[in-house]
Amino acid sequence: MSVPINYFLVLAAALFATGAVGFLLRRNLLVLLMSIELMLNAVNLTLVAFNRIHGTDHGGQILAFFIIAIAAAEAAVGLAIVLAFFRLRQTVRSDEANTLKN
Amino acid sequence: MELLRQQFPANDFALLALVLLAPLIGAIINGVFGRRLGKEAVRTMALSVMAVAFGLSVVTFLNVATMHPAEGESVRLYWKAWEWFSLTPKYQSFAVDVAFSVDALSATMMLIVTGIGFLIHLYSTSYMEDDPGYYRFFAYLNLFIFSMLTLILGDNMVVLFVGWEGVGLCSYLLIGFWFGDEKKASAGKKAFITNRIGDFGLLVAMAILLYHAGGDLGWGALEDRAASLTKEITMWPPNESFLRAVPFGDALRPDAPIRVSVATLACFFLFLGCMGKSAQIPLYVWLPDAMAGPTPVSALIHAATMVTAGVYLVARTSFLFVLSPAAMALVAATGALTALLAASIAFAQTDLKKVLAYSTVSQLGFMFVGVGVGAFGPGFFHVITHAFFKGCLFLCAGSVIHSMHARIHSEEGSQDMRNMGGLRKYMPITHATFLISCLAIAGMPGLSGFWSKDELMYKAYTLQIIPANASLWVPPEWFGKAIYVMCAVAALGTAFYMFRAYFLTFWGDFKGWNIVRGWKDPHAGHHDEHHDDEPLDGPVPHESPLPMTVPLMILAFFALVGGFVYAEPLHIAPLGHFWEPVFASAQPHIKNLDPEHALMLPLLVTGGLIFAAGAGGAYFVYVVQKGAPAASFVKAAPGLHRFVLNKWKVDEFYEVTVLGLVDAMGDTAAQFDKWVIDGILAKLTSTLVTVFGTLLRTLQTGRVQVYAAGMVIGTAAVGWFLFTPHAEANADFDAMRATGELNLTAAPGHGYAYHWAVGEDAEGPDKDEDFTKNANLQLNFRQCETKTVHLSVRNVFGRQTRESFTYCRETRQGCCKAEGEMAPAPQAGEVPSLPQMKPQAPSRPGTNPGGSPKGGH
Repeated sequence: MSVPINYFLVLAAALFATGAVGFLLRRNLLVLLMSIELMLNAVNLTLVAFNRIHGTDHGGQILAFFIIAIAAAEAAVGLAIVLAFFRLRQTVRSDEANTLKN
Repeated sequence: MELLRQQFPANDFALLALVLLAPLIGAIINGVFGRRLGKEAVRTMALSVMAVAFGLSVVTFLNVATMHPAEGESVRLYWKAWEWFSLTPKYQSFAVDVAFSVDALSATMMLIVTGIGFLIHLYSTSYMEDDPGYYRFFAYLNLFIFSMLTLILGDNMVVLFVGWEGVGLCSYLLIGFWFGDEKKASAGKKAFITNRIGDFGLLVAMAILLYHAGGDLGWGALEDRAASLTKEITMWPPNESFLRAVPFGDALRPDAPIRVSVATLACFFLFLGCMGKSAQIPLYVWLPDAMAGPTPVSALIHAATMVTAGVYLVARTSFLFVLSPAAMALVAATGALTALLAASIAFAQTDLKKVLAYSTVSQLGFMFVGVGVGAFGPGFFHVITHAFFKGCLFLCAGSVIHSMHARIHSEEGSQDMRNMGGLRKYMPITHATFLISCLAIAGMPGLSGFWSKDELMYKAYTLQIIPANASLWVPPEWFGKAIYVMCAVAALGTAFYMFRAYFLTFWGDFKGWNIVRGWKDPHAGHHDEHHDDEPLDGPVPHESPLPMTVPLMILAFFALVGGFVYAEPLHIAPLGHFWEPVFASAQPHIKNLDPEHALMLPLLVTGGLIFAAGAGGAYFVYVVQKGAPAASFVKAAPGLHRFVLNKWKVDEFYEVTVLGLVDAMGDTAAQFDKWVIDGILAKLTSTLVTVFGTLLRTLQTGRVQVYAAGMVIGTAAVGWFLFTPHAEANADFDAMRATGELNLTAAPGHGYAYHWAVGEDAEGPDKDEDFTKNANLQLNFRQCETKTVHLSVRNVFGRQTRESFTYCRETRQGCCKAEGEMAPAPQAGEVPSLPQMKPQAPSRPGTNPGGSPKGGH
């Protein structure tokens, strides 16, 4: 008796919601990056969970690997930006990043 | 001639292209390169293109003159350059070709335009010798010839209109040729704007004819369809709903509708165009001011050719004008009044060119009398004789002014007849040619003016227009006689004031300066301001050089003998016979009250007596009495004299009325702009934009997280939309109205299943198995039957929604209204039975569009 898919989906939804809320509410850029990782992993979880239902088709798992690769690239670029921003402003608070506004 | 006819058959007479292109090429080359080419080249260019145009015109004329068409047909050489445009509006198609044609009338006119044009070009080469704008002048002059030829040769009204505008433009450019002078520039503007009023009339006439004459504005087509233009249309009231819509509409309702024949309406507007171009009351005011241009321009454009375009147009559309006795009477009466008014103003003018200008207006009036009473031949012949003698008179005036410029440089002074006198001793050729032309215009028997003017006055007395149908208004019996009397008075005036000008200029003592033989200009090369109180010394006035006197002699020759080509009383009228086919279709509408010509001799003798009285009177007053009676008259009635000298204050009157009205309208518009447009509309718009800008700006925080929040909300909304089912149906109502069969198709969606229930109180689906994949439903309606359909939709998430539609097959207007809740009835006049589709409010709880789950998970 395998774990029903609903469990996976509920867990993924919870992870995604945590990530989204974290991204919207937190002000620390490093935390924001982590929130993005959470959301991406929630999606990964959904993909592999659905892949379990379609046993012969591995599209979901392949897509999950893609997302992991992209998440790594995103983390590299994101951290570089955060570093550059810190050198400019001496802070990692996202609401200080308002050059575009004024 | 045979070879020519083989090369250029009558239906493809491409020789016209050369006639038209020559002056155009001259205009372009002189206008673009003239400054660099130098005077010699400009002169050669201008004269050679005119010589080409004239030579080819002679060839064309001879070709037309020697053709012998079959009985009842007229000669018409036709050349279509290209198809200009064609429109196919709702009711009839309408094609305009750039096409040209020559018949007897236009062949003659084109001969005059290029012939006199050539002479005046020749004259100008000398007259404009020292002008810095030499090349510009000849470019304009050539362009004018091109436009005038387009006007004359155009085979349809649209091409004529192009030429019509073209000559107006050239007239404007040449009146304001010395545009550095404010007065001259504004004279040009005045001419142009006054002409625009007339052009408006011509445009309206074109529109009327286009609508009522079957969508073809070619001369031939209009002539063929002229008969259909006698039908009457209602002018007032416009229609019933208009009277209902405006306040006091009933007061505006006439006892019987005012109806006017199409021909009258079209001819009225055509004549409005002619009034502008040919300087008739009330639009004549521009022509005297047009004398601000160089004198050769006055001779060519404002005397010999352009201003006669209106007469040409009336003669060209004679088949239209004869259909409307009212329009003809209007033409004749306007002509006669203008002849009288202008003659009266010419009495008091002291400026030589002004006298000639008013004389031109007056003679144009005579021409309109001619064409207005149905004497198209004599009327148009007066155009030609007038071109000779008035062209000559203007060139003589130019010659005189040229010699006056030796010592008097101001424009007023050099043209003022009070500074002239005794010039016949010094300028024999100018004097002789002026005298001949003067005799011709005054109507001395035997000279050209006599044959044309007295012939048309005789015709005015004896011709009558037969109305095409009985309901048309006709002028009373005495109308022709009254026109004749007015013309006779105007002719008497003409003889008097022309000889007044002649005697003042050429007789008596020279009054410009003290003539000192062998006098040399002490300030050679520099135009000093001379003082009026000091008598001037100056040289002996000299005759003008040969290029100026040769055109004078040629024109004077024609003024002398030109009348014999149309001397009806002597039964020598080759030109008349030549033109006959052109006016043939107008001829049946004209009745001659004097078929035996019994009145001809008495009226011609009267004409001779009028000439003798006028010229003799002028001789008595200005030579025998040396102007004493005139001076004492001025002293006796100074007010009247000033009134006439100021041109009856017509300009001032227009200033107050027309210009005042326009100014008032302008002021009103400016106030409206200031307070309503700027004050309310612009402010309102800007406030609105500012408010929304402020609102939207608050969203643009620059914080990436706020944007991310927007994205999340948007994505959630799309997700919700996909999550809920939507019950919508499409139907073909046209088919339903026709056959009563209505095919309903529910909108597709992801995993949708449908359930249809027909009937007002039909129950919805109770369990999931009731839903099917069938998205279609077919219904049949009887006439005026109303049916209600309920559509339930369930989507892949198991959510349901329900929507109700009511349809009615409205085959009669209003038969669906019985339901009470139907949509508004269709407007009157609309195609009946637009079936109404109206989603009804949900009738049961739990089926609102939001779709609360019902039997879901």
